[in-house]
This record gives sequence, structure tokens and C-alpha cells, in this order.
Amino acid sequence: MYESRLSRTAFYFFVALFVIMLLFPLLWILKLSLISPAELQQSPPTLLPHSFDTGSYERAFSDSRFVHGLTNSIIIAGITTIICLIVGSIAAYALARLKFTLRTPVMTIILAIAFFPAVAILGPLFLQFTTLHLINTYWAMVIPDTLFALPLSIYLLVAYFQELPTSLEEAARVDGASTLQVFRRITLPLSLPGIVTTGLLTFIFAWNEFLFANTFAFDERTQPATVAIPNFATVHTQDFGAQAAASLIVTVPLVLLVLFFQRRIVSGLTAGSTTG
Amino acid sequence: MTKPSATYKGLSRREFLRLSGAGVASAALLQACGGFSSSSGSSSKKLIFSHGPDDSGTVKLLIDKFNKENSKGISVDWREQSADTGAYFDSLKTQFQAGGGDIDVISGDVIWPAQFGFNGWVEDLSNLFDDSMQSQFLSGPLEAVTYKGKPYAVPWFTDAGMFWYRKDLMKKNGYDPNKPPTTWEELQGMAKKIVGSGDAKYGLVFQGDQYEGGVCNGAEYIWGAGGDILDPSDPTKVVIDGSQATTGLTTERSQVTTSTAPQAVVTFEEQDCQTAYLNGSSAFMRNWPYMYGLIAGGKETGSKITPAQVGVAPLPASTPGGKGYSCLGGWNLFINAQSDKKDDAWELVKFLAGPEAAKIRALKGGFLSPLKTTYTDKAVTGKVPVLGLASSLADQIRSRPVSPFYSDLSLKMQAGFNASIKGTETPTDTVSQLQSEMQGIIDQGTS
Amino acid sequence: MAESVSAKQVAARKGRRPGLFSSFKNEFRNKDRRLAYYMIAPVLIIILAVAVYPIVYAIYLSFQEVIPNQPSHWAGLQNYTQMFSDPIFHSALLNTAIFTVCSVALELVLGIPIALALNRAFKGRGVARAASLAPYAFPTAIWAIMWRLMFQDQVGIMQYISTKLHIFTDPILGSSGALLIAGVIVDVWKTTPFMALLILAGLQVIPRDVYEAARVDGATPWQQFWRITLPLVKPALLVAVLFRTLDAWRVYDLFWVMGSKQLNSLSTYVYTGVSVSQLDFSLGNAAAVFVFVSSLLIALVFLRGIGTRAQG
Repeated sequence: MYESRLSRTAFYFFVALFVIMLLFPLLWILKLSLISPAELQQSPPTLLPHSFDTGSYERAFSDSRFVHGLTNSIIIAGITTIICLIVGSIAAYALARLKFTLRTPVMTIILAIAFFPAVAILGPLFLQFTTLHLINTYWAMVIPDTLFALPLSIYLLVAYFQELPTSLEEAARVDGASTLQVFRRITLPLSLPGIVTTGLLTFIFAWNEFLFANTFAFDERTQPATVAIPNFATVHTQDFGAQAAASLIVTVPLVLLVLFFQRRIVSGLTAGSTTG
Repeated sequence: MTKPSATYKGLSRREFLRLSGAGVASAALLQACGGFSSSSGSSSKKLIFSHGPDDSGTVKLLIDKFNKENSKGISVDWREQSADTGAYFDSLKTQFQAGGGDIDVISGDVIWPAQFGFNGWVEDLSNLFDDSMQSQFLSGPLEAVTYKGKPYAVPWFTDAGMFWYRKDLMKKNGYDPNKPPTTWEELQGMAKKIVGSGDAKYGLVFQGDQYEGGVCNGAEYIWGAGGDILDPSDPTKVVIDGSQATTGLTTERSQVTTSTAPQAVVTFEEQDCQTAYLNGSSAFMRNWPYMYGLIAGGKETGSKITPAQVGVAPLPASTPGGKGYSCLGGWNLFINAQSDKKDDAWELVKFLAGPEAAKIRALKGGFLSPLKTTYTDKAVTGKVPVLGLASSLADQIRSRPVSPFYSDLSLKMQAGFNASIKGTETPTDTVSQLQSEMQGIIDQGTS
Repeated sequence: MAESVSAKQVAARKGRRPGLFSSFKNEFRNKDRRLAYYMIAPVLIIILAVAVYPIVYAIYLSFQEVIPNQPSHWAGLQNYTQMFSDPIFHSALLNTAIFTVCSVALELVLGIPIALALNRAFKGRGVARAASLAPYAFPTAIWAIMWRLMFQDQVGIMQYISTKLHIFTDPILGSSGALLIAGVIVDVWKTTPFMALLILAGLQVIPRDVYEAARVDGATPWQQFWRITLPLVKPALLVAVLFRTLDAWRVYDLFWVMGSKQLNSLSTYVYTGVSVSQLDFSLGNAAAVFVFVSSLLIALVFLRGIGTRAQG
């Protein structure tokens, strides 16, 4: 059909446009991070790179705040992920498998947290953390990050648990296993792919958090990269190359992980929205 | 998929306890790492000195020198802070409010002593910084560290807004290179010609962004027109709504409307001006004395211009024969009231504020010493011409409003001045709004 | 209207109470059900300690006057009247509203065709789907700096393009209006793909045979979209829009970092009061309560919409 060839061309054009718009900023920043300082200062900017220089990456890695920021980000996001997976999977199992009257209200409360404006509790948390001497510690970020990451973790885990066939669990129960034993010995190992995906999304969430880190952390021992890089940018205002390099260093590993787990994440989100 | 064997063993209560025990233990272990425990009252052996980034390299030099030479075996760690004074202040304020933090010696803006002293966040230095030591300092910086009769800091270096001009470009365009413009109007004429002949991209660059530096610039225009912010005889009264203040802000706005300054000046901070100037893109610039060190630095600091091409003068005035005023800047050395190493901290303060350090800072960084002796030391004045100018300027340097709620006043001025430069608000509206907002803050704070 | 809703809820709760109480007793006698409560307890404790208690505390603080070096005291509605008469609050509210409406509308309008495209089988669909997931992983605060670089007036590519095309020739970062538009652009860039994925999830549930029946009846693709796709995907759309609306309503990272203090949102207003100012701590908490209540109202309005649609 003649129409279909035309529409197919238009279709591919549309998809290509979408992908280009999506990736253009990434490519532009990649370009900024790899050109020479002289080219960086050129006005108007060059559209295609004329020079090649890895100095920006060296300067980014020689900034101790940035390097510490990376470590802190890994620790904060890592601990948040571990807590969310432990607490979240236990709760999700109850919500997915066990019958109890308050199941729906509890699920509603948990999902409501996803819509809760974080900034609303900033002042009180500051006072509470001050009393508990938690200001400028990892906990000041891990605690609120955990709260706000839990809804997504639980939502995804409930969906995964519900998708698992119940036959194995029933068989185990016939053999006399308790609910907790079934959960730990059967459900958890079987849902490992789902747990990994959930963990990854939780990790990304905590890695990207900015508000609490910007309020509760103030030196290189605790500041994660999301706060260290804006600071880095005020110190090296004119070093666009190093800023670009630092930003890519923080972004690219996560993007690669997301791309690697792409199919799982999409199906996880899809499953969640259709069953949940 | 591996099928779980049917011979599983259940999770016994003992196992469960062991698992939760492991969790608690690992949490305790993590607690032992730095970031997991609170920083207040930490007993680290090093003295912690906090200061923003330093392009001149002199801070590192001085700290290394102190670490090597001090007789008490004190070892200092420099904790680098944000270059943005506002962000640095916010971070310090958060630490103080959360119990003090672990910084021992704080290098801070000239405008902070009142607020820090009022809140009891920094040590009252009356007993250490005694009369005989005070008498070595210039009166301006000394007044700036005093709040209600008590010194809360020792002046480290002083600053004043200065007018930088390109002698070579003036000469090329038919102006006497030794007669920099004395009024803003004269400057706008010169800028127009220099930009018109293609010798510079911009006529003037200054700090117009919404931040502390924007307050300094705005205040200079207001003072230059004969206005003021707080009543000098009664600092609880805001007088910014006078007609002179409106004139001042109108002049500042006219730098943009006459295209003397680029449109983007409303986002410019010191480093943006610095880049434009060192690149040779601007004929004139309002900036602090530290520029001298960068211009003299040549390749090392990325400068495309040399000291011979540049002149430095007092800021232009609003009217012929009038006086231009410079905003007092500079940094002081504070001791954290919660520090457990106050004796060591004082040793560091004495060293950094002493004549030897002042000389190094002046020669290598172009920083203005607050010590009287530096200005009579020929070895210094001969090499750093800005110093001579600064001492002759003394009566044209003024301080921003002194108030224990300065940071809140400043936030309002930052927003107001920036809106006025952008033209989103008329200068008249800006001053009348600032009048009521700032008076409100002072009333609220003193109620 | 809000009153009648709450009155209805109270009435419903009252009617259910005796049944609820006795079933609770039974509930705890049952070993498995008891276990279920133990298993969700940690989550509920976290929510109670880190969300419920602080928000109640915030409401309390919003009625206090806190001045440094003085004991705080009851201030009645003073913080709220101060907030509602503050021009900065007005601009923050207006900016947040404009930002929310524009970015969510654009994301919806762009998200639907993208979702439809990704739902079709074509060569390279995997790549396109993967690419659309990538921005999800970008830290907003950090990419706000990168976009600031791209909007910068000397070396910024966006400023260059907009000047060349005569769209906006003044410095973008120096104009509040242009900054807000820039904010919308960045948000659309970052979240449209995610929106598309959420809509895609809804599309995948629509059975194929519905379309085949329509095609047999001679419906054009355009008619199919309006009469089948849109009504069937509506619930997924509403959930996605609700999610994005509330997310945009609390925007902080993007405005704070990219706006460099020159772009206010409700959240940056709260942050400035609570964390930057020394005198406005209570004012900041009043604004925090405002953000909380307004988010709640938005959610209720949407949920009512979703509820009635599902019934109808």
C-alpha cells in the first residue's frame, strides 16, 4: 500500500526525532567533557568537537569533594537500598499473600507516601535530627530516603510476589513449613530477579536525592555527589569541562545499569500498574 | 530456574535472632565509620580551618608553613567551603544551629560578626584580642569585627570594590589613559566608543546576580548617589526609600539599558567578571583587589592581559565632583564557640592575621592587609599598587548594614536589587518594597 | 465541597465502627493474620516516625513564632497571614502552578504518541524503549547544572539556537519568564519518556481483538484512537497524570539549582524559610503545611475523578 510506506517513513522519522531529542543533551555534555579548555570558552560554541582533551576528567577526579561525594553517594544509596529491600520485602509479602482486614488501607497509606511532598517535613526533621545528633551523618539522609523509597519498593515487590505461582508455596505448607519459612526459603529465592530490579530502582532514587542531602549534610565526609557537584560548580564556575565530566561520571554508570536491566524494569513497572 | 529442594529447613527462632543480631552489629560497625556518627564534639586531633576556595594558592602555602613552623605541634586541616558566600553562610548556620559542628577556626565574611556574636556561635575574643593588638589594625576592618563593643573576630584581609580600566583601550580611542572616568555618565560615553570601535565586546562588567555580591554593588550605587540603607544614627531604622537610593538603582539599571554592560550581567558573579576581563572582553570592571594577583599571574592564571594594560581607580560617582563609595569587603577569622581546641585555634588566628602572613598574602595574592604596618612596608607597596590606592581610599569605603539579622536583610536586598537591574521592577518600586520588608525584619528581630 | 466530603467520610466510618472493632479481635486471634501485622509493622513505624509525626510537628510549628535567642510562643494565624501577603509567596505559587500545568500537559500530549509508537512492533523498538528509560536515571540536581550550562549566554547551545532562530535573544538565565520556560523544557525532556512508559503499560492491556472488530466495522485509525484507545487507556492516563502532577507540584531540585535563587517554587520557598533564613522558620513551616494540604487536595480531586470514571 502506498499510504503505508509514507506513514512508515513518517513513523520512523517521529521515533528517530524522539530518540535524538532524548539523547542530545547527553551527547552535548559528553562533547563538553572531552574538548580543550580553549574550545570550551569559545563563543558561540562549536557544534562539533574540534579538539580532544581528557583533562576535564582528571580535574574532576582531583577534586577531593567530588571523590568523597561519590563514595558517600554509594554508601547512602547502598544502605537505603538494603533497608528498603529487607523491610519492604517482608511487608510486601504480607500484602501480597496474607489475608488481613486492613490490607487495603495499609496499601493506600504506603502508596500515599509516594505523593507526600518531602519538603513539608524538612523543618521538623531538622529539629528532630538535631536532638538526636544525626545532622551531618549518613543517617540524616538514609532515614528520609528510606521513607520515600519504600512505596516504590513495596509496590514493585507486591506485584512480583503476586505474579509468582502459589503452587510451590502451598506444597511447602503441606510439608509443615510456617509462613515465614515459606517466605524465606521459597518466595525470596524465586523472586530474586524482581528483588534485584527493585533494589536498582531504589538505589537510583536514593542516589538522585537532593533536598535532604542539601539540608542535612555540609562537608565532604557526608555530602553525596548530588550536593558535591553543584558546590563543585560554584568553586570552578568557569571550568565547564570538569563540571560536565563530573556529571557524566555520576550519571553514566546508572544509565548503563538501567539499560542493562531495561527489559526487567519496563516489565516490572508494567506488571505493577496492571495488577496493583 | 532452580527448583528449591523439598528438604529445606525452616527458619528457626534462633536463626532469626542471629540474623537480626547481625543486622544490629553491622549497623554498629557502620556507626564507627566517619559519616555515621555526629560530628559535633568530635575529638579529632587536627585543628579544622574552614575557608572557601582560593585561586591565589596563598592559603595552602600559609597552612603548610604554619604546620611546619608552629612550636606546639599543631596540625591544621583546611576544610574547603563553597565559593558562594551565601551557601557557605547557610552551611555554617546549619552547623551552629545543630550544635556547633567540628570546625575550630572559621574564615568568614566581613558582614558576619554581628550575627555570629548575637547568637553566641563564635567566641568573644575580648581577652585575647587585646587593646595593644587591636591598635595594630586599621580602624575600618576593626570596627567591622566589633559588635556591641566586643570583638568577635580578628580581621584577616580587607577588601573594597574597585574600578578597573584598560589603559591601552582608552588611549587607542583617544582618551587620556591616566584619567579614568569619574562619573558613571562619563564611563558610559567611553564604553560606547570603545565597544563601537570593536576593541572590546563589553563596556563594563560588574556583579549583578542575585547573591551577596549583588548587594555590595547595589549599595555602592546607592551610596554614590548620596543615599543609605540604614539610618547611620539609628541602625534600627531603614531609610532605603529615599530618592537618592532610587537614583542610585536607576543608574545601576542604566548600565544594562544603555548596553554599557551586557544583558547577562544580571547573572554575573565575581568569577564571570574575572573571566570576561582576563579574556580582554571588557573595557571596564567593578571588582575586588584580588584581581591584581590574577592579572599579574599571566599564563599561570589564564590571563590574556598584563598589569601594564590595566589601571585601578576609585569607583565613579553619580554626579561630577561627587564621591564614589566602595563597599567594604574582606574576611575575618572567628573561633567556634564550641571548639575544644581554643588555645590552638588562637595560635592559628594569630599566625594568619600576623604581619608575615599579611605580607605573603599581599605579594602573592594582591590581598589588602588590615594591618597598618603593611602600608608602610616599601617592599610591599612598591610591588602591589592596589595597596597604595586602598589606603588613599579609606574615607570612601563603607560597610553594609550591621545587624544580627543581616542574612535575612541581605536576602531581600539580593532579590530587590537583581529585579531592579533586570527591569522587572522599577527602582522606585524596589526601594519602597525593600523599605517595608527590611523594616519588618528588623522589627521582628528586635521585638 | 470539602466539608461535605469529610462529613460523608465521618458518617461512613461511624457506621462501620462496631464491625471493625470486633473483627480486629478475631483478626489478632488468627495466627497468620497476626503475623501479617507484625510483617507490616516496621513499614508503618517508619511512616509514623518519619512522615506522620513530623507533619503534625510542622503544623504545630506553623502556629508558633520562633525568634533566635528567645522562647517561641503561640502566634495564631500570623505566619499564614504573613505568607499569603508575601509577594515572593505569590510568585512561588504562580510559578509552581504554571510549571505544573504546562509540564504535565506537554508530557501528556507528547507521551501519548510516543507510547503508541513504542507499542507498535518495529525494528529498533528495543533501542527506543531503552533510550526512553535512560533519563529516569539522571540525577535532577546534577542535570539542572548541565542545563544551566546549555542555557548559558556565552557558550550555551540552547541560547545559541534560540538567538539564531530569533526565539529569545536576551540571556535566558537572566529572565525569570525565560527561566520558567526553560524549567518546563528540562522537565519535559526528563519525564516525558517515563510518562510514555506508564501510558504504554496501559496500552498493553487493551486486547487486540477490539481493534480488529473496529477495523472490520471500517473505523479509521483516527476513529480507533478516539473511540477505543483513549477511553480504554484513560485510567492509566489519569494515574500517570496524578503521579506527575504531584511530582511537579513539589518541584525543588530543578528550580533551586538551575534557577540559582532567581526562580521560586513552593518548595524553594519552604526551603528558604526553613533552612536559609534565620527569622522565617515558622513562616517556612506554614508554607510546608500549605504544600502538604494543597497536594492532598490535588490528590483527592484526581482520585474522585478516577473513581467516578471507573464507576461510569
